Amino acid sequence: MADSNAPKPSSSVKLVLLGEAAVGKSSLVLRFVNNDFQENKEPTIGAAFLTQKCNLPSRTIKFEIWDTAGQERFASLAPMYYRNAQAALVVYDLTKPTSLVKARHWVAELQRQASPGIVIALVGNKLDLTNDGESGRGDGDSEGVEGEDPGDARKVSTEEAKSYAEEESLLFFETSAKTGYNVTDVFTAIANAIPETSLKSTRGPGASNVASRAGDEQRVNLNGPREAAKEGCAC
Amino acid sequence: MESLSAETWDTAICGTGLSQSLLALALSRSKKRILHLDANDFYGEHEAALSLQEADAWAQAHAGGGATHHLDNQLAEGENADEDVTSDKDKLSVAPKLSGKKSTIFRNAHVWKHPNAEAQGLSFPRAYSLALAPQIIHTKSKLLSQLVSSKAYRQVEFLAVGSFFVYSSTDAVSGTRLARIPSSREDVFSAQSIPARSKRTLMKFLKFVIDYDSDEQKPIWQGSADKPLSEFLVDHFKLDDRLRDFIIALTLTLDGKVTVRHGLTTIHRHLTSIGLFGPGFCAVYPKWGGISEIAQVGCRAGAVGGSTYMLDTPASIDEAGNGGDISIKLSDEVSIRTTTLISSQQIRSTTSQSISRLVAVVNSPLQPLFGVLAEGAPLPAVTVVAFPPGSLLNNTQLGSNTPVYAFVHSSETGECPSGQSVVYLTMQTIPLSSASEVLDMALTTLLQAVPATGEILYKLYYEQATSSRQSLVTSQGDATVFEFPSPSLGLAFDDESLDAVKEAWKIVMKDEALDNSFMKFEDREGMDDDDDVYD
Repeated sequence: MADSNAPKPSSSVKLVLLGEAAVGKSSLVLRFVNNDFQENKEPTIGAAFLTQKCNLPSRTIKFEIWDTAGQERFASLAPMYYRNAQAALVVYDLTKPTSLVKARHWVAELQRQASPGIVIALVGNKLDLTNDGESGRGDGDSEGVEGEDPGDARKVSTEEAKSYAEEESLLFFETSAKTGYNVTDVFTAIANAIPETSLKSTRGPGASNVASRAGDEQRVNLNGPREAAKEGCAC
Repeated sequence: MESLSAETWDTAICGTGLSQSLLALALSRSKKRILHLDANDFYGEHEAALSLQEADAWAQAHAGGGATHHLDNQLAEGENADEDVTSDKDKLSVAPKLSGKKSTIFRNAHVWKHPNAEAQGLSFPRAYSLALAPQIIHTKSKLLSQLVSSKAYRQVEFLAVGSFFVYSSTDAVSGTRLARIPSSREDVFSAQSIPARSKRTLMKFLKFVIDYDSDEQKPIWQGSADKPLSEFLVDHFKLDDRLRDFIIALTLTLDGKVTVRHGLTTIHRHLTSIGLFGPGFCAVYPKWGGISEIAQVGCRAGAVGGSTYMLDTPASIDEAGNGGDISIKLSDEVSIRTTTLISSQQIRSTTSQSISRLVAVVNSPLQPLFGVLAEGAPLPAVTVVAFPPGSLLNNTQLGSNTPVYAFVHSSETGECPSGQSVVYLTMQTIPLSSASEVLDMALTTLLQAVPATGEILYKLYYEQATSSRQSLVTSQGDATVFEFPSPSLGLAFDDESLDAVKEAWKIVMKDEALDNSFMKFEDREGMDDDDDVYD
């Protein structure tokens, strides 16, 4: 059906990053957006906003990524970010069990407060600090008992997190922002999991009832004729 | 929370209404140390967008005379609390945690829910986002150019405002009670509802308005500048009643007594806004709850710039302020110090007008109201219906001298689920009878006039007034307290409110306030449109 010459439909997806401090939220985004990694990255102070396009066979998804780092202690930024979000990345550090507890809190909060139908991915980061990470990307040939191997800092087993993710119908990945392992896969999986209906006319519960028109036709582009004609008219 | 008190903040901003949030945006690259608070547990203050659950709680808090004032920054003795109908269990909403002054901007709020609402299609509460500020924004508005120059516009989805209709109870010409106001020359010529002779007079008037302020046209109207526009239209342009209703409707004025000067200014704005960002439409509306969305974008920009955000945090000025800064009490344990305090006025001025608003969720998309305006135009998400004075004939006692406006929002606004719509009706509060009844009647009349059936599922009624229209600036030692006026009552966004934002910005920035740098930013890294694509 699809004409291969026709431009693919493009939709924006708002994605929020949640998780305890220092689990690597910003690093995951940096890897995804710039394919870069910074050792000893400074904590994010306020919040950051980045975009990245992801090309699927049938459409292009433009992720608008909200990184809510830093101020979770006031719990005041998050509602602003997950409002209208279609996807959330809840990150924990698989060398730190308390970060999974925090991740569970975020998942519960999202299920209670965010848009219904939000796609949530649970991501265990810092796989590079485990034997799985060193021994060829998680093929699991580590025989050592958890915690005993000095080279393995893993404290959260794959099984525990995975079964939790299955119970709550979350996407689940273990990643390393440092090596890049699985990072793009997370975003591609999210892109694929966003229901087509919520992309028809962009996002949220008020999806389009006018199926014949694509989302962008409704959107008014403020960078249209006006800016060219009257540049610098602001104040 | 200790770290909050450990330092002196450059600015504490109380409230996340549009003005404060635009200030947060304006300061987002300034490196100033900013603490931004809101007593509510939602963003937007007077301009919030509420889920049904939040709307229920909000209405409860604003029933009767008003809600508890969230920033007790007037050091004089507080008012009596006898009008205060909120109680501790209403903690959810407007945070009556510190008693004292009350916000009296909103009052007499109540909600109504269809007895079988769920069976009729009412979805879960968070599927709705009812805007307290459903203003349309003309494409010429300075607000839009500031959002563009600050790059914040990238985070807002703007939808087109479509047709303007005028209701008539006695229309025999077109067979429909809702007549669409032609918005362009082509429109006028093709309009079947207007007789040819009327078309010529209408064209003559439209041509005049386009350059009404020129030396050639000024003499025509200046002599009658303060007279009613409706008389001027008849005397000078021989417009018939119907065309006069069209023109008056375009002014979006609520008192039905618009002057020539004001009327010509607003119609000129309307006409010259058409086509700026695309064919056919004169105004836009931000998806997800109107002005509230812009307030949130301002706060996000503040957060990205490093400001600290705390919701659900009422604040009051500590009496024990001293020296170069002000002490603000956030709770029994925590006080913070700041050199400037920005907040908004919460007390209605004794001379304030009052408007009555009815927000209704309807279980029909009201499709016939959302036709495309012109070829290549975006599908409109907002439609305006004007009920001229006296057109609601069922009860001539009620509201016969004031118009009613209905802004109908399709589900494209994200304010309701697909297949439903939200109708925002506004009129002047009428002292001796019930504006709420008139608005109900207008709503029912509207639903009967649209060839589509719809049941009303949920209604929120409230009255809104304004504080004094001036910003209040006071000094406490070397510290400054700045209070924004409350939002204007206009149906279209009023650019004048932007002046106060700049004024506040200058107070915070002091010598660093360079006029031509206000709201002008480059995109932040990673935020341009030409980013790489992952395959």
